Amino acid sequence: MANKTLCIDVTKCTGCRGCQVACKQWNQLDAEILPFNGSYQTHEGTGPQTFTIVSMNEREVNGKMDWLFAKKQCMHCIDAPCVKVCPTKALSYSEFGAVTRDLSKCIGCKYCVAACPFGIPKYRKDLDKVTKCSLCSERVAEGLTTACAKTCVTGAIQFGDRDELLAAAEARVQELQKTNPDAQVYGKTEVGSGTNVIYVLGDKPEAYGFPKDAKAPAHIGVWQNAIQPYAGWLVAAAAAGAFVSFFTTRIFKAGQATHAEGGKSHDH
Amino acid sequence: MTTERVERFKFSARFAHWGHTVTFLVLLFTGLTLYSDWFSFLIPIFGGREGAQLVHRIFAIGFTVIPIVCLIANPGGFVQWLKDVISWTWDDIKFIMVFPLEFFGLPVKIPPQGQFNGGEKMNSMVTTTSCVLLALSGYIMWFPQAFPMGLVRSAYPIHDICMVLATTMVCMHAYLGSFHTGSGESFWGMWKGTVRSDWAAHHHAKWFRQITDKDANSHHQYQWQRGAGK
Repeated sequence: MANKTLCIDVTKCTGCRGCQVACKQWNQLDAEILPFNGSYQTHEGTGPQTFTIVSMNEREVNGKMDWLFAKKQCMHCIDAPCVKVCPTKALSYSEFGAVTRDLSKCIGCKYCVAACPFGIPKYRKDLDKVTKCSLCSERVAEGLTTACAKTCVTGAIQFGDRDELLAAAEARVQELQKTNPDAQVYGKTEVGSGTNVIYVLGDKPEAYGFPKDAKAPAHIGVWQNAIQPYAGWLVAAAAAGAFVSFFTTRIFKAGQATHAEGGKSHDH
Repeated sequence: MTTERVERFKFSARFAHWGHTVTFLVLLFTGLTLYSDWFSFLIPIFGGREGAQLVHRIFAIGFTVIPIVCLIANPGGFVQWLKDVISWTWDDIKFIMVFPLEFFGLPVKIPPQGQFNGGEKMNSMVTTTSCVLLALSGYIMWFPQAFPMGLVRSAYPIHDICMVLATTMVCMHAYLGSFHTGSGESFWGMWKGTVRSDWAAHHHAKWFRQITDKDANSHHQYQWQRGAGK
């Protein structure tokens, strides 16, 4: 099945946060009411009951206030570190390539929280589970679009076939580069083989708070690819050695005077 | 022949040893359920993954508290043991080199050993280091929000590596302390605290000389050594 992708053109985003509301509504998430922290941005990032968040970065360009909006949620990496580390397989890929979570399998160990290069999954204390966006897998399975794409009034959020959206995003970037030389597609090759959320950015990724060089953390390579599958054989070797020794010591002993039972024969 | 015995391990050392035996094994088997699917058959024993997680955390506290209690109860002995196992002599290195043959029952000449032979020193060093790192990395993973992300990430491979190293040593150690024909009294040293003197003289000659010289000077119960016992 072809990958279904969310394409977010932040240059068309007006920061209305309709997607945040639609997401909460569809996923039946409560409001997470936090104190005002000096920004229009509602939350610092995703939260246990906030799967998507429009980040609002303020900056000054030529003495004028410039506001950068970017809807953020799980990036649905094609080669996802969180899926790799999840010990109970609660995180897995849907048939459309989204990273879905089976809460009944999640034990709240938070390995995925440490593995995610984007800091997306969040631990939900009342459930003792880790939650995040599932790219509306339940909706997509029924042929619908995601809740956020459905509600987006400016058409900044598109949902569909990855290859088509990627081609459209690249064409859009070509256009943007006439006025925004740093405009680029983000998510094409991030985290190794790309993500199932791609962005059309009007500026460098860092300007929107995206990691510049997003990749799987090094510990996953060491831990998951090298140690976990093979290191256990060291234990097996020790156990096998003991097993062999149990017999060989008794075989060799048969012909020898023994000191085993307490050194009664001190003649050797 | 009367069997004279000498004290090998004080109660605090034995308590730490067996306390860690129980807690380590429970921690190992609860932890393995997450390490590999091979061990998923263990999950129902602990009442599901959540149960295994809870048991793991309860025993983790025991695992941490036991050595601390023993350190407080007998600081001198604890420090002496650590000092012993990190001080290596040429005899210990020779022991490590020839022991693989002895392990499989081949006759070898083993140099005289102190209270801990080279193998026991290696075991103590590896398991102690592993235990400390296991505990530290474990608490970091338990409370990830209290630590920087880089530290949390490194805790996973460290926990695994130390688990594998410690379990490897435990496999060898458990066998050598029980069914290995050359080890004899060593089990009772850790169980009852005392070992037969002739065994001590044979297996830990340097240590035996040390304790008997001290005791001989004070005219203690080891006078048998000058003729009586043999």
